[in-house]
Amino acid sequence: MDKRENHVSIELQESASAEPVPELLKLITSSEVVDFDSIMPESETSVSSNGHQRKFSISISMPSSPTGATSAGTKNVLDVEYNGKGFNDSSSVKASKPKPKGVQFLSQPMPKGSVFGEAAPNIKKLKDKRFNSFKTWSGKLERQLTNLRGRQQSESESEEESTQNSGREVLPVDRYFDALEGPELETLRASEEIVLPDDKTWPFLLRYPISSFGICLGVSSQAVMWKTLATATSTKFLHISLTVNLILWWISITLVAVVSSIYLTKVVLYFEAVRSEYYHPIRINFFFAPWIALLFLALGVPPSVATTLPVALWYVLMTPFLFLELKIYGQWMSGGQRRLSKVANPTNHLSVVGNFVGALLGASMGLKEGPIFFFAVGLAHYTVLFVTLYQRLPTNETLPKDLHPVFFLFVAAPSVASMAWANIQGSFDYGSRIAYFIALFLYFSLAVRVNFFRGFKFSLAWWAYTFPMTGAAIATMRYSSAVTNVLTQTLSVILSVVATLTVTALLVTTIVHAFVLRDLFPNDIAIAISDRKPKPQNKWFNLLRHGSSDHDIETFLKFTNSESKDIEVALKIPTAEATRV
Amino acid sequence: MALTIISMASLRSETQIVPVNSPQASSFTTTVQSSLSAVFPSRIKHSLSSILTKFHAGYFRISLSLGGQALLWKTLIGPTHDKSTLRHVVHMFHPTAFLLLWCFALFILSLLSLLYILRCFFYFKMVKAEFLHHVGVNYLFAPWISWLLLLQSAPFVAPKTTSYLVLWWFFAVPVVALDVKIYGHWFTKGKKFLSTVANPTSQISVIGNLVGAQAAASMGWKECAVCLFSLGMVHYLVLLVTLYQRFSGSDRLPAMLRPVFFLFFAAPSVASLAWESITGAFDTASKMLFFLSLFLFTSLVFRPALFKRSMRRFNVAWWAYSFPLTILALASTEYAEEVKGSIAHILMFLLLSLSVLVSLGLTIFTLLNTRMLLPDNDPISGLYHLPIVSP
Repeated sequence: MDKRENHVSIELQESASAEPVPELLKLITSSEVVDFDSIMPESETSVSSNGHQRKFSISISMPSSPTGATSAGTKNVLDVEYNGKGFNDSSSVKASKPKPKGVQFLSQPMPKGSVFGEAAPNIKKLKDKRFNSFKTWSGKLERQLTNLRGRQQSESESEEESTQNSGREVLPVDRYFDALEGPELETLRASEEIVLPDDKTWPFLLRYPISSFGICLGVSSQAVMWKTLATATSTKFLHISLTVNLILWWISITLVAVVSSIYLTKVVLYFEAVRSEYYHPIRINFFFAPWIALLFLALGVPPSVATTLPVALWYVLMTPFLFLELKIYGQWMSGGQRRLSKVANPTNHLSVVGNFVGALLGASMGLKEGPIFFFAVGLAHYTVLFVTLYQRLPTNETLPKDLHPVFFLFVAAPSVASMAWANIQGSFDYGSRIAYFIALFLYFSLAVRVNFFRGFKFSLAWWAYTFPMTGAAIATMRYSSAVTNVLTQTLSVILSVVATLTVTALLVTTIVHAFVLRDLFPNDIAIAISDRKPKPQNKWFNLLRHGSSDHDIETFLKFTNSESKDIEVALKIPTAEATRV
Repeated sequence: MALTIISMASLRSETQIVPVNSPQASSFTTTVQSSLSAVFPSRIKHSLSSILTKFHAGYFRISLSLGGQALLWKTLIGPTHDKSTLRHVVHMFHPTAFLLLWCFALFILSLLSLLYILRCFFYFKMVKAEFLHHVGVNYLFAPWISWLLLLQSAPFVAPKTTSYLVLWWFFAVPVVALDVKIYGHWFTKGKKFLSTVANPTSQISVIGNLVGAQAAASMGWKECAVCLFSLGMVHYLVLLVTLYQRFSGSDRLPAMLRPVFFLFFAAPSVASLAWESITGAFDTASKMLFFLSLFLFTSLVFRPALFKRSMRRFNVAWWAYSFPLTILALASTEYAEEVKGSIAHILMFLLLSLSVLVSLGLTIFTLLNTRMLLPDNDPISGLYHLPIVSP
């Protein structure tokens, strides 16, 4: 193996020294490279998740700078060799696929006669390098977590790091609006590019969005609903047993634990991706979801597990929530580009509803001042948000023009607020009733428009939109306990049934997507947008392109640091076209 | 003397370098000078006219803060149900010291009022320019609020006496008149819609209503109090939403005036105190308003970068820090009295010490740097001299 690598490096050196001024572009078709077409059978065993294979790939050599080409070129290969040892901890094959520097993709020619092992590890390693910008400290942490190699490795590492980008910069919120569209700002606009390849399946953690916490929200609120169904005075006639609540509660605990641990791993390993999500104007609100889910868990704890919870638990749960909301609401008030008139969207309700859920929990635990504090803060900010969303300001870019399940979040805040106020005051008084009727009105005005909710692409975030329905059902049960008559009882039953049916349907859809369609976690495009608009030449270039391989080349071409970038692109078009069979 | 012309890059719309009314001004000032020379020797006349031109309603922030401090200490040394040690310690504040404080506040306020009256007489055009400016107009409430605060904290005028009543009417009617004018503008006037003129200083109008309501309630005039309270609260609601939305970007507020962001938590605190005066006890609504104000205070304190630019040079805008802190401390005192927990008293102690420190610090700083108080190229007074959109 080593001999072969040395052979490669010597070969390259020779070829480099033979041409004192290397060509800017060296085109090597895939047919020249040995073993390239035999990727598929060998790779199937090792790359099971990678569904894309490159058929017609073109490897282009682009030195990092016109003058420093030779030394840089060889250095690169050397680096790659040593890196190859580190990354390929599973495979014994030392492939020396050229490694890009950060977001630069300099692919070296792959001359015949050199076997680079299976292409699968190549691709895997190429993917690894490509995703470096999303890893914590640009992959430094991952490198440290894997075996530390010898001094030479650290040398080459330090060299790369000096030339590498230090992860992604913070994107201004305008970039998100320019590059993405859709009610959840998930879909890429046609004119935009992303920094990661779209045809490859990214690492699982990179595809795992924060909106997965929506499942925890949906299921834990169901647990609370079934607990209320079993214990509320007005629904006692249904004789629901508390077992349902117990089962659901344990399921939600497991879900919360699983989702949190996966996301924590993502935070540790792919911190830059998490940062990207944090600065996404819609996804930021989902950072409140874990805390709300925990609060729901505390609210829905089955009586058989614990009848009273310690008060300290409330403080423990609300403190991180308080800090997060200080940050986010402060941004609304003073944050220039992230001011509310610009970024207001229905998902912001998630940041406000948590106040009311916390107040509800605290009041049910017997606390007095804390719940009032959070209720007051939540009420003030809810008023601001409600008015802003109703206004549909022209500067508001995130508000979907048409209906979308996200609008159900409108129902969440008033229904939870009514319950919280009832707990604070001790009875379901006028304040609670006013809030409850507002919630009911919003629910019905959305329910009669259910036809408009069709035709949307399913995403895991939809689970978060079920908890308002569940919340409305719980509030109705509270209301019917205060005002008991046939109408209110029927209403509570109907709303509970609707909520349960919705959750079941969502569960089925999720299972279908997870196991049958296998696209429960598609590539998370929203976090991978580039930090500037692609040049118009690229757009035109892109329009001509069909097919995955071209996109790769496009991606490769874009990320060089050579000053002659545009020339290369312009030159590339005819030659690339020419080589396509 | 020519009017100073400042073009500030930080201003959005007013960056026009236009000599404002120079020939008019010079003729006007010669008239002024001739009238003044009839009264004073020329040296005093010269310094007086320079003071009058640089003076503007924003200087009433000083009297606002001092009035707030006076009210705070009057409440602290007054009768209370609070049996905690902190209150006990504070109770030992000597009445004479309080009297001195009140007299000092009265003196400063009288001085400032006199200066402003002179300015109205001799430089009415400048007062008019202030009135037309979206920031300056709100500070026209400040003198009346200061007088109301002093009235409430007066050691020798009891609330239910006729003199109190007369004085209250004397100070509250201008507030209501200004209300009608300004709130009407928000509603109806072509170029002065709320969405374009809203800025954090607009909350001073709300504070004016609420302080009037509080003073009325302490007189026993409940209906007047509730009327002013509802007026203030309804406009506060509208303002809160508008300011949070920040429709027009950075509110057209120059960076020097960032300390007025503290008004965000001043308004709910005053509302909480006013509601307490009306209902007689610190109930849930007052608590909620107090908590909101506490939250906004914390949120601002965690963002020091917001105030960095304004802290570079001393100017009268720094006094904007003091009044909101004082009012928040006062509200926390009432809260601690109601709730009687140790956390509430710790909070009260912290806020109290903060407000006293800030006020004291500002006073000393001002006394040491009186020259800097009326600088030649004061960016804020320069604001009012530039041509503004006329109604």
